Amino acid sequence: MSQSWRNDSLYRDGSLNPGRLALYAILFFVAIVWGVPFIWMFVTSIKPDTEVFRYPPTWWPEQPTLEFYTRLFESFPMLAWFRNSLIVAVITTSLTLVTNVLAGYPLARMRFRGRRIILLIILSTFLLPGEILLVPLFLGMVNFKLANTYFSIAVPAAANAFGVFLMTQFFLTIPVELEEAGRLDGCSRLGLLWRIFIPLSGPAIATVAIFTFVRSWNDFFWPLVISNTDATRTVPVGLAIFVGRGLSMRFGVIMASAAAATIPAVIFFLMLQRYFVRGISTTGLRG
Amino acid sequence: MTSVAKTMDRPVTSSRASVRNDLVAYAFMAPYLVLFILFLLLPAIVGIYASFTKWGIIGEPQWVGLRNYDKLINSEIFIESLQNTLYFVILAAIPLIVLGFLLALLVHQKLRFRNIARAIVFLPHVVSVAAVGIIFQWILERSSGLLNYYLGVLGVNPPINWLGEPESAMPAIAITTIWWTVNGNMIIYLAGLQDIPETLYESARIDGASGWQLTRHITIPMLLPISAFVIPLTVIACWRVFGQVFVMTRGGPQGATFTVAQFIYETAFVRFNMGLASAAGVILMLITLGFTVVQLRAMKVI
Repeated sequence: MSQSWRNDSLYRDGSLNPGRLALYAILFFVAIVWGVPFIWMFVTSIKPDTEVFRYPPTWWPEQPTLEFYTRLFESFPMLAWFRNSLIVAVITTSLTLVTNVLAGYPLARMRFRGRRIILLIILSTFLLPGEILLVPLFLGMVNFKLANTYFSIAVPAAANAFGVFLMTQFFLTIPVELEEAGRLDGCSRLGLLWRIFIPLSGPAIATVAIFTFVRSWNDFFWPLVISNTDATRTVPVGLAIFVGRGLSMRFGVIMASAAAATIPAVIFFLMLQRYFVRGISTTGLRG
Repeated sequence: MTSVAKTMDRPVTSSRASVRNDLVAYAFMAPYLVLFILFLLLPAIVGIYASFTKWGIIGEPQWVGLRNYDKLINSEIFIESLQNTLYFVILAAIPLIVLGFLLALLVHQKLRFRNIARAIVFLPHVVSVAAVGIIFQWILERSSGLLNYYLGVLGVNPPINWLGEPESAMPAIAITTIWWTVNGNMIIYLAGLQDIPETLYESARIDGASGWQLTRHITIPMLLPISAFVIPLTVIACWRVFGQVFVMTRGGPQGATFTVAQFIYETAFVRFNMGLASAAGVILMLITLGFTVVQLRAMKVI
């Protein structure tokens, strides 16, 4: 340990390098600025009422309590919101995976009429602000009596082109020789996709799955518009409408709700970090 | 995006393009195309059509020509929402791009703990806007908020009523947004930095280039293609700002944070004036499209 520290350029030439020291100071500052809101949320959520507004702020309660977490689940249908979010995210993610893997294959590996124009139309939707879609989608769902269903929340989200783009990009990198070998063995197109492309595309498929799941889990505008009962309402919508507005209620409960919504996502992220990084860096799209 | 475009004309495996081949290709794409047409393409077209109609939640649309647009241009509330959103775009988009780049440069340096710092900056990516709004309302709170406490320590007095005053509410929303979403741009720029061949820097160093010169003449030009899509995507996302405002201020105080997306939401789903909301959506689309074209022209991409 101490030996490798010596090799760090911080100590090059046997003395502290002021430029490197400044970089470490900035790095530390950045970590504090982005990390503290999480810590502060959690610490507030376990503070008894008497300590919440203490000034100057305290970083650990004298009498930590989990009372607000139990109260949270009594005051709000949090479990129903969680269940809804989970169902919606699973529907959107599975639909996205199946359709995008299928669509990515010909776009990457086949020559057919209309390929260029289809790619262009699909890619151009990245630049389309989705607000234009809200009214027609809403009226369509209401018209077909589909408002307040999982279908109406989950299925439109699967039209997003991000995964098609990513799968197309990834399938392009798979060597032609493998595909030709499969064809010589008499594989159909579907067989090629199933036996050669899908097994080789684990990382890309995982990236699409995780990315789509998180986007769906956090989606806000459309679920807010299309669901207005607790039977289908998702976590972000429930939080925004009942809990977070104006912070008028007791702080412990509010912070516990934010923490309850955030902690699973953070654990999920820490386990699967590299897939997020790949998803963003290949396509430039946020979840 | 470039690699797809480049390979578009590459002959792919089978040489004979036949009708059968086309049918197979479309059969593969059919499930996605159905979703794409039903939930993206068709709604976009209907949305444009709806902007020329009077359309309530029930009943048939009536064609009214440009009347919705005329109403919007003469609506003080709508013009204010445009101004507010433009103000937000300026406050948030520039830091999102510049800071995203600088953070990428920072975590690209061979520093210890850089992976931990990168993960921490990235964490807000998985947090929903509702939770972000709740956390920042508390941090920005006037009398017991963390931010005002530390600003006070640094000598800023009296405490700022961040979300309560028209002057500071939009900057507060921008600060929240930057904390929440700068990580996306950071990751994209970081991927770009990792793709720049080290040999470029080495030969420049042999020629005696300084650190700043390396950044100015190698790093920034090499990242131009990436900026060509980071900038429009960031600006479009900023024009669409909604959730943060909905949770934290609901457009207030005194309408200072009332944005175009908020206008569309209230017009369509509170007042059920679907035609007018669609026209506002079309204007939003034209603004972002216009910006993208101008910017790509300026960068000589198109």
